[in-house]
Amino acid sequence: MMKSKYKKIILLSAFMFLAMSGQGFSQDWISSITYQISFPAGDTKSFTDETSYSGFGLDFRKVVDPYTTAGFSLGWNVFNQRVNKTVELQTKNPGAITGLQDRTLNSFPIMLNVHRYFGRGHDSRFFLGLNAGGYYMLQRFSIGIRTLEDDQWQWGIAPEVGFIAPLSRSSTLIVSGKYNYAFSGESPLGGDINHQYWSIGIGFAWSQY
Amino acid sequence: MISTYISKYPKFVQLFIILFAAGFSLQLASCYPNDPISASDTDVVTTFHNAAADFSTKMSYAMPDSVFHIGEDGPVDSNSPALDQQILSAIEANMAQYGYTVEANPDQADVVVVAMAARSTWVSGGCIPWYWGYYYSYPGYCYPVAYTYETGTVLIIMVDPDLAGNGNPADALWIAGMNGLLDGSSNPASRIDRAVDQAFKQSSYLADGK
Repeated sequence: MMKSKYKKIILLSAFMFLAMSGQGFSQDWISSITYQISFPAGDTKSFTDETSYSGFGLDFRKVVDPYTTAGFSLGWNVFNQRVNKTVELQTKNPGAITGLQDRTLNSFPIMLNVHRYFGRGHDSRFFLGLNAGGYYMLQRFSIGIRTLEDDQWQWGIAPEVGFIAPLSRSSTLIVSGKYNYAFSGESPLGGDINHQYWSIGIGFAWSQY
Repeated sequence: MISTYISKYPKFVQLFIILFAAGFSLQLASCYPNDPISASDTDVVTTFHNAAADFSTKMSYAMPDSVFHIGEDGPVDSNSPALDQQILSAIEANMAQYGYTVEANPDQADVVVVAMAARSTWVSGGCIPWYWGYYYSYPGYCYPVAYTYETGTVLIIMVDPDLAGNGNPADALWIAGMNGLLDGSSNPASRIDRAVDQAFKQSSYLADGK
């Protein structure tokens, strides 16, 4: 069931990428695809304290004026950690559980965004942006022969900074960093969890402006 | 169609798209990326203690000289006396380390410790989608699989005989549960020792009376 859900998201992403980066949109839209490395922070670091090397982002920005774009973004970041440690259980009668644990977080950010660019036309340009929307979070906690899974939508924001550097008439190098912050969520172990992580992306954008 | 689509971009962009697609495919296959685990990796030690218990007043214990085996329909005979002794020895060693002394008469002991064991057979099943990794698997199309596995559980229960003596069930002061997959090949004695040691290690409050 879970797999079919995230496969739908992937197919949607692929469809959006093919549709939005087509010839008809290229004059008004900037489409980008980035490979992302992510670093867990806050509660995410407590859940999976490993750097994620599995991630990508798709971005579609409509040129509003030479310094501003507005659009939306999709992504997928996978955090995973195998750890053998003791977890304290905050139950009526206090407890603890020890064993080999596989902890996985699949985060699918789906957000609207606005970006402001600094610099001139075809030069390299820095930009600042704000993404707002949410994250479809798939969390899995396995210990022993038991697996706890949880999928939920979590609202959140992701401030962003980056730069673009023209490589040819139609393509641009894009490097950006985002701080992903989900406002609220529930841990598969119970209790609240606010997922947070840094993402650094590098890729290409297709623009005509 | 896709090759036509990307051919309009410069060579380095085409290369990036191809590398990205390759990496994306790898990521698809690894949403839950973990290596297989052995039977002993499934060992889990869980402990709970009564929040109102004062272990600083508990300094002696009594323990039956056998492990109680529980089957699906009630008590069963042990088929592993050597392992039973291993469990009892491991408990004794850890109780001694935490400062408890053995009391032969349960009525005179501050706590009574009981060891229990059970073996369970689990039947599970799943659905392996067709064409996974090739293209989107149509819902409902899959290879059904079924499998069984056996797990072993050891329970250590600590009760206060004063509270349990009036015919009413008493809340346990401390419970440790150790569960793991049985595969017949791993060394159960060492797994039992490790599990019992871990149960006491994560329950250091038991030594409050030391």
